[in-house]
Amino acid sequence: MITSLVPVWLAQAAPTTEELKTQIDLSANILLETFYFWTVVVMWLIHVGFMAYEAGAARRKNLMSTAMKNILTIAVVTPTFYYFGWYIYGCFEPGLPTIGPDSLDGHAGPPQFPGFCGQTAPWADEMGPNLQNHLNGVFFLAFLLFSWTTGSIMSGALIERVRLSAFLILTAILGSFVWIMDAAWGWSAGGWLTIRFGFHDAIASGVVHGVAGLFTLGVLLNLGPRIGKYTKDGMARSFRGHNTHLTLMGLMLIFTGFYGFYAACLFITPTVFPGWLNIYGSPTTLGAIAFVITVGFAGGFTGGWFASKGDPFWTLSGGLAGVIAVSAGADVYHPSLAYLLSISGACVAVWSGNYLEKRLRIDDAVGAVAVHGVTGFYGVFLVGIFAGGYPTGLANVESSMGGQLMGIMAFVPLAFLPGYFFSWILKKMNLLRVPPEVELEGLDLAEFGMDFYPEFERVPEVIVEPDGREVDSAPVLLDAYWQTNGKEPAGAGVGAEERS
Amino acid sequence: MFDAFPYDEWGEDIAGFWTFGPGNSTGTYILTALGIAAMLIAFVWFVRLENQKLAHQQATLRASGALDRPPTAP
Repeated sequence: MITSLVPVWLAQAAPTTEELKTQIDLSANILLETFYFWTVVVMWLIHVGFMAYEAGAARRKNLMSTAMKNILTIAVVTPTFYYFGWYIYGCFEPGLPTIGPDSLDGHAGPPQFPGFCGQTAPWADEMGPNLQNHLNGVFFLAFLLFSWTTGSIMSGALIERVRLSAFLILTAILGSFVWIMDAAWGWSAGGWLTIRFGFHDAIASGVVHGVAGLFTLGVLLNLGPRIGKYTKDGMARSFRGHNTHLTLMGLMLIFTGFYGFYAACLFITPTVFPGWLNIYGSPTTLGAIAFVITVGFAGGFTGGWFASKGDPFWTLSGGLAGVIAVSAGADVYHPSLAYLLSISGACVAVWSGNYLEKRLRIDDAVGAVAVHGVTGFYGVFLVGIFAGGYPTGLANVESSMGGQLMGIMAFVPLAFLPGYFFSWILKKMNLLRVPPEVELEGLDLAEFGMDFYPEFERVPEVIVEPDGREVDSAPVLLDAYWQTNGKEPAGAGVGAEERS
Repeated sequence: MFDAFPYDEWGEDIAGFWTFGPGNSTGTYILTALGIAAMLIAFVWFVRLENQKLAHQQATLRASGALDRPPTAP
């Protein structure tokens, strides 16, 4: 009796071809959704790392104000990116959006992705709980983490004198408008730079790092150096960060998070050969970029070590620069080529960092303009030399030096001009920089009313003169303050350290 | 097979099922407008609150005379 029912049960349990297809599609969607979610979890380490890195590089008196910038970046970039940043990515791939009847809700996207634009509006069905769409939420989340990263790149350069609120305004502009506009143009399968010029920047050398670095340069020109950074003769002094170990650990956390960043730049197509696509819809593999990122760190550390003659800060920053230099072509570079190019990228970062600090007298506290800005665009340039001819984007336009230069010409003004303009506006409103008195005393006492190492005795702060001598910073900084402000003597003064 | 949710009754509505939803409805438009308003107000408060703190601390420091230039010898 029972054995006679088995064929009946099997017949009932056996799915039809159509049901199997539905199940496979659902499984593929769940795999994609799960993958992106966990890349985001790993990418959080980038922000943990940036916070530790910058807090360690700050002097003790500016510890919490530095860390708070990184924390509140999340507070402001998340809503701004939800309300209009994601919409820019969905709708500005052609340059400017076109409105047509064939799109969802009247929001036309590029013809390659009809309706995607409408799905990115904050009031769309796909921007909330939706059983029919697993992917929009995690895609949004991955891009949001890229946005936080752009803010964090800028954050370190401005420490110890920028107002927290000014930084938050600028980071919202950078994270939710500037970088995502360039991503729509040149970091999407249907972007106008991609489909017309074959612009190729697979893991975002230029679109994230280069653009954030140049935006930062525009801000730094208005912000100015920290009090005491330069002698009367224009020679650069060095400030001692309060915790180098924290800085180095932060950089290592950033490196860990970069694996999530790299993975999030790919797209899984689990039912279609070869299973992975880059951001342009061209085939690659996770293994290909795993080779390049790991070798890129190795080459970057090597180049940073030798170019800086063994400086620990630049050795680790060189690792970051090395990876950034090879990111644009990470989907196609051979590991040996990546090794050589990453060594050169780290050297470019060290040399340009020193040039910016000592010749152009731009006080970039963590070398962000050099490591991210200069090396980012250097990486885009390298693709024109070493990956020319590779089909890119939905139109399969071959990447070329011309296309890469076109991208650079579009991104440089897009990045630099808003950074300069909006920081100039804030400066004119006296909202960009903290008062000099507060800068000398330390931002933590003004912002939070406390010292964040209460159990440790305050030791005199030191500063490194251009000739390498370490001296007590209080008289140096006070002298620089008096010169800057032209104040007349009004009584016996004491050092900022003594008062605090 | 493990879910008792009445999919047949909900039909297509399952695509957008949040509070005051679905998308492109009056409830969602209002929520969006309120969210954007909260975001803008937060920016203004970030600026004002910090400005007050910095101005107070600057005034305190100036009043203390701690950063004044010491008198030069006659």
